[in-house]
Amino acid sequence: MTLTKKDVRNFLATNKIVALLLVIAVIWAFFGYMTYDADLGGSQFLTARNFSNLLRQMAITGMLASAMVFVIVAGEIDLSVGSLLGMLGGIAAVLDVTYHWPLAGTVAVVILLGIGIGLFVGWLTAYQGIPSFIVTLGGMLVFRGAVLGLTGGITVAPASEPLKVIGQGYLPHLGGNVLAVMLFLLLVVLAFRTRAGRIKHALPVSSMPVELARLAAVGVVILGFVMTLDSYQGVPVPVLILLVILGVFTIVGDKTVFGRRIYAVGSNMEATRLSGVDVNLVKMAVFGLMGLMCAFAGLTTTARLAAGTPSAGTGAELDAIASCFIGGTSMRGGVGTVIGALVGALIMASLDNGMSMLGVETFWQQIVKGVILVLAVWMDIVSSGNTR
Amino acid sequence: MADYLLEMRGIIKEFSGVRAIDGIDLTVRPGECVGLCGENGAGKSTLMKVLSAVYPHGTWEGTILWDGRELKARSIRETEEAGIVIIHQELMMVPHLSVAENIFLGSEPTTFGGFVDYDAMNARAAELMKQLKMPDVNVALPVMAYSGGKQQLIEIAKALNKNARLLILDEPTSALTAAETRTLLDLVKEFKARGMACVYISHKLDEVAEIADTVTVIRDGTHVATLPMADLDTDRIITMMVGREMKNLYPRTPHEIGEVVFEARDVSVWDTTNTERKLVDGVSFQLRRGEILGIAGLVGAGRTELASHLFGCWRGEHVGEIRLEGRPIRVHSPLDAVRLGICMVPEDRKRHGIVPLMGVGHNITMSVLKRYTRSGLIDDEDELAAIQAEILRMKIKTAQPLLPIASLSGGNQQKAVVAKMLMPEPKVLILDEPTRGVDVGAKYEIYKLIFDLAEQGVAVLMISSELPEVLGISDRVLVMGEGKLRGDFPNTGLSQEKILAAALGKQDKVAA
Repeated sequence: MTLTKKDVRNFLATNKIVALLLVIAVIWAFFGYMTYDADLGGSQFLTARNFSNLLRQMAITGMLASAMVFVIVAGEIDLSVGSLLGMLGGIAAVLDVTYHWPLAGTVAVVILLGIGIGLFVGWLTAYQGIPSFIVTLGGMLVFRGAVLGLTGGITVAPASEPLKVIGQGYLPHLGGNVLAVMLFLLLVVLAFRTRAGRIKHALPVSSMPVELARLAAVGVVILGFVMTLDSYQGVPVPVLILLVILGVFTIVGDKTVFGRRIYAVGSNMEATRLSGVDVNLVKMAVFGLMGLMCAFAGLTTTARLAAGTPSAGTGAELDAIASCFIGGTSMRGGVGTVIGALVGALIMASLDNGMSMLGVETFWQQIVKGVILVLAVWMDIVSSGNTR
Repeated sequence: MADYLLEMRGIIKEFSGVRAIDGIDLTVRPGECVGLCGENGAGKSTLMKVLSAVYPHGTWEGTILWDGRELKARSIRETEEAGIVIIHQELMMVPHLSVAENIFLGSEPTTFGGFVDYDAMNARAAELMKQLKMPDVNVALPVMAYSGGKQQLIEIAKALNKNARLLILDEPTSALTAAETRTLLDLVKEFKARGMACVYISHKLDEVAEIADTVTVIRDGTHVATLPMADLDTDRIITMMVGREMKNLYPRTPHEIGEVVFEARDVSVWDTTNTERKLVDGVSFQLRRGEILGIAGLVGAGRTELASHLFGCWRGEHVGEIRLEGRPIRVHSPLDAVRLGICMVPEDRKRHGIVPLMGVGHNITMSVLKRYTRSGLIDDEDELAAIQAEILRMKIKTAQPLLPIASLSGGNQQKAVVAKMLMPEPKVLILDEPTRGVDVGAKYEIYKLIFDLAEQGVAVLMISSELPEVLGISDRVLVMGEGKLRGDFPNTGLSQEKILAAALGKQDKVAA
């Protein structure tokens, strides 16, 4: 059997994530080659240290993108997340630096505020019928204004040690290893349970060797991931948080009534409403989730910089939205995955990181990122045969 | 051999290895009307898409001879230039543009400098309207000001303006009133007399029998027969379409009618845009356990609006009392309705029925998904088991339970939508045009299901524009006209004429 162009295309269309991982491999290979320096002992891009940096850089965009996927799948958009991140991060900084609140108190207040503001934005969109583009465009200005007023336009520093851990800490090696093993075992159990279920209902399953090969590949990736990070300082805390979010959100999207409804609302809202689903509640809740993620991202940003800055999160909404689209989320709603969006975020972060290492000027970096976004979506459209 | 205007020979079209049509022949002589019959999914639409070059030359096998020469069109534009114009089942109109602008869309007459010549355009459009016996249409008004039936005729004006020599009508009357259907059929006859050829696709075989000279029947993508209509009758066409004898179109079974479960009192509904206009005007009725109540009436009589109000999804002003099992209830949303045990299968399947990107199964379980959760997570096993039971019960033809619903034929989609609304085990089921655009086989299944439900004690309210269906299914028939209830007849000795007369408000004449 020979592989034709069509076979490859079909494979990539059904396994979008593989296509995206290939893109990452190409980008990494390129930067790995370009940053090769014999005097420094090899490629500067492909080091454990840089890998760790890269992941920490993508963590914040990743948190936003995880919830942004649901917003876009539900057929809405949120342009205010960068500003909301900045405002919540600023509040965290003020509570921590100025009022010396304990960490738990700061985190609790910021999270509740994030959810509350998200729900309010969702209420304006879902129940009052103001298009989300307008509500969040307004929110973008309001929240940025609020953070400027709150910080007085200056940096609020220094953050307390406990807060800094959220953004700068690392998981001890033993903890990381144990978590990795547990995660792998969980995935194996889930894979076999799903398989048994599909067989029971006479649904097609891949053959056993393929299944085992897939699990082995997952095992190698997890092992490689943890070992690489261990060889530097361990799994960074924000990366760990992001991975937990990935797991939880994937389950929410695939396995819960709420998740199923997000996709239904995005695919055909009227039909969903007429099926007896409270579509407004679903939409409002999605924005609540977005607010929660802004709180996480805000806390992480402040902790990482050890300070609250008035410009924190500027432009983050665009990175998050771009990550979703690169990761295969459909503009028209109804289609998209959290893992896809995170891989999209990783692609964006890789470009940022690699180009900075090469000393590419900032204006070029922006141009390249813009081109990559359009290119990625174009590839997606071509590969799924949706060209008109 | 007579000279053919169009000859399609041995057309084969494959979709990723599956043959949707497999060697179909279709011939049309000038001035002839060919009826194309087949169940949903038989390949009628695919064949017409091949003809109109929606699928360009080269993506299918076989030959098309047009006027004796081979046609190798690569786009709809080329086939339209040749004189082949297709009018789709779904109207292709830009609602905010005027009637004239729609007719001339893509071929606007221009003055020097590239400006649209509105005077010439409106004059020509008005002339076309006169030809179509609709002189009262104001061609400068937006198309959305006119009913679906008028819009259908405007589509035909568009085709005439393109100098069509072959007009393909795909289910043209599915949204038309009886009177509008009449106008359309008369027009087609007139066109025929003028030498225009026509391919008429319809599930309404009475119409086919009336205007077709020749009938071509296809089944499962293959050619079954091409015969002169003079040698055929509708029963024989049905037999050829389904490949088996359809003895009884309405599988009526005895069912017991119990006490009143549902009652509407003085329901009035106002238009959403024109808030002065009453669409439903003081309608009251009762519905009994196990009763099938048909609601007949012309399109625009307010039937769908009444149903929307009962189901809690009417967005405009509305008043009226609704009682379920003797207690007054408040239904503010479909969610309330479903919780109380009132379900509705909406009229417009594509816009209101299916969630296209989701699987058939996930569509079916949508309103009762919570049933299959265990500590907050959906139990795929439980859900799949329920889905497969439904697919079997409803005889939904799908290769896989989780195939996207949009890839199924209309009849199977409809069965899935009905299944979805049966999952909450309703006490009252509202069906709005349940068999619109559905093939004979699926229709039969749906009818059987309606009788089964009545037998189980469900009260069924069925809105239908097909009078034979209303008469074949209902225990009792309500007739609406201009928003008012114009008749409430037990279905004994009832005739289509009597219903129509009531709908038009001419009962007295009939009685006299």
